[in-house]
Amino acid sequence: MATRERPQSRSLGDRAYDILFHNALWRSIFRSGYPNTPRNQMLVVATNVFLHLHPTRIHRTHVKITHTYCLGGLSFFLFLGLTISGVLLMFYYVPSVERAYEDILRLETDVRFGILMRNMHRWMAHGMVIMVLMHMMRVFYTGAYKPPREFNWVVGVVLLVLTLLLSFTGYLLPWDQLAFWAITVGTNMVGSAPILGEPNRFALIGGYEVGPSALIRFYTLHVIALPLLAATFMAVHFWRIRRDGGLARPL
Amino acid sequence: MVSATQEQAASQAVRGRAKRQRDEELLVWPDLVFIEFIAAVLFTITIFSLSVAINAPLLDRANPTVTPNPAKAPWYFLNLQELLLHMHPALAGVIVPTVALIALGAIPYFDRSNEGQGEWLSTPRAWPLTILGATVGIVGTTLLILWDGSKHVVLWAKLTGHDVSDWPTKLNWLRSSRSLQTEVNWPDSWRHVPLGSKVLRTDLLGLPKINLNVDIPAMVVEQIIPVSMMVGLPILLSLFAWKIGLARTRRDHMILQFSGFIAVYVLMTIVGTAFRGQGMELFYPWQIKPPVS
Ligand code: HEM
Repeated sequence: MATRERPQSRSLGDRAYDILFHNALWRSIFRSGYPNTPRNQMLVVATNVFLHLHPTRIHRTHVKITHTYCLGGLSFFLFLGLTISGVLLMFYYVPSVERAYEDILRLETDVRFGILMRNMHRWMAHGMVIMVLMHMMRVFYTGAYKPPREFNWVVGVVLLVLTLLLSFTGYLLPWDQLAFWAITVGTNMVGSAPILGEPNRFALIGGYEVGPSALIRFYTLHVIALPLLAATFMAVHFWRIRRDGGLARPL
Repeated sequence: MVSATQEQAASQAVRGRAKRQRDEELLVWPDLVFIEFIAAVLFTITIFSLSVAINAPLLDRANPTVTPNPAKAPWYFLNLQELLLHMHPALAGVIVPTVALIALGAIPYFDRSNEGQGEWLSTPRAWPLTILGATVGIVGTTLLILWDGSKHVVLWAKLTGHDVSDWPTKLNWLRSSRSLQTEVNWPDSWRHVPLGSKVLRTDLLGLPKINLNVDIPAMVVEQIIPVSMMVGLPILLSLFAWKIGLARTRRDHMILQFSGFIAVYVLMTIVGTAFRGQGMELFYPWQIKPPVS
């Protein structure tokens, strides 16, 4: 027997409900009614582009906070937050040796909430490195890398590298002493590789020393190339979680 | 032939299993979405408070002519910068991280069993293995770092009331890893072995001659010792755990090695961040002054 969705009696609340959620506008946006019945709750997940990253049902052990500590989710959330705050920072920042440092100074002193924006971007970037590492540990210690999830673990390792590279390329952009010398030390490590080290270092910083071309290269990698790559690999990561039958469970 | 009742029973069993599985499931909306929402809100509040309380650092404008002492990479690379102090830069900066990442990615292809899947540390002996791996990693790495920082000489001086410079000349080669290169009477010819004319005779194949001199004492200190430590000690650890019956399956060995790796990684990050001061020498964190230019 099918459950009736629409209430029988027409109380004030029911009428308000009808007006709010059974109208053409709501339907045109959400396709399903307000998610207060099991049917609509499944429909909302299945038909909403943001929610459909999820399955509609999930095993109860995976809803327990202590199974994942939300670490993968928080890594993704940080990525989104970094994208938003990063776009705001781009409004005020020009990646040239003449302007970069002054732009950051001006952002901190002249722009309303500028310093807050910069702080949030900075601390979220550090947070993301920590979250991703802890997520990796949670996946390892719950044995969630085992078949059929081997490849998603590899995708994860790529995401870890991309996260580190995103953080590293962003480090240069304020163009202060901390940035300059950290990147000099870091890229010197690349340069020490046998045979291919020096050419790679040259390609990375566009010269023999960290300078204008290094700044524009790191900027481009930081705001376009690496975020696109990371987003692509995250899409693969999430897709594979669904394809591999959701999160790992004891057999 | 399968009878109709048998078939019915079988299909009922299948349906029963499916039903039990369904009973264990919750709807993502609201059960999961709610938790995600709460986690996101709490996290936003945390980040926001942190950003109000602490400002991101901004030093003087970049100046290529003024090198700060010490010049440090971002904290998540300080573990590699720590390695750099003890071995050849190509090893520390490129080869070790590359090999480590490949090894990390290879874990699921090595340990393909299903045991312990989907539950925290659920195989037998998982906790002791974790603790053993982490402890050996931390103690071993600490001792190696202290040794290379000649801290055993300082300890000896403190205990015997001597000065550090009183360390017996005969034992000078034991001051640090580097002193094996400088304080040992290596035959002079070992310090530059011409690879091209003695070992790799590419000229015999009609190829250009390799013009490379190998400094064997330096190679011992910068390559052979570090590699044998980084490869040998984990192998010894696995052998030990296997001998005493602690590590029996591949999952066991993975737990042991992964725990050791994470412990060493975290330890070296902390040492590089908080215990390295001017000249990248070892200090206590409270003794470290801000970088001087
Ligand atoms: C930007 C980085 C990453 C993001 C945004 C991300 C996101 C996620 C999310 C949201 C999940 C769902 C479960 C959970 O929250 O734990 C997940 C699962 C998973 N992640 Fe990641 N992840 C990242 C990096 C990594 C890394 C570094 C690894 C491993 C090296 C990894 C391996 C896995 C595996 C194997 C699963 C399936 C776990 C299971 O079945 O229980 N991920 N990831």
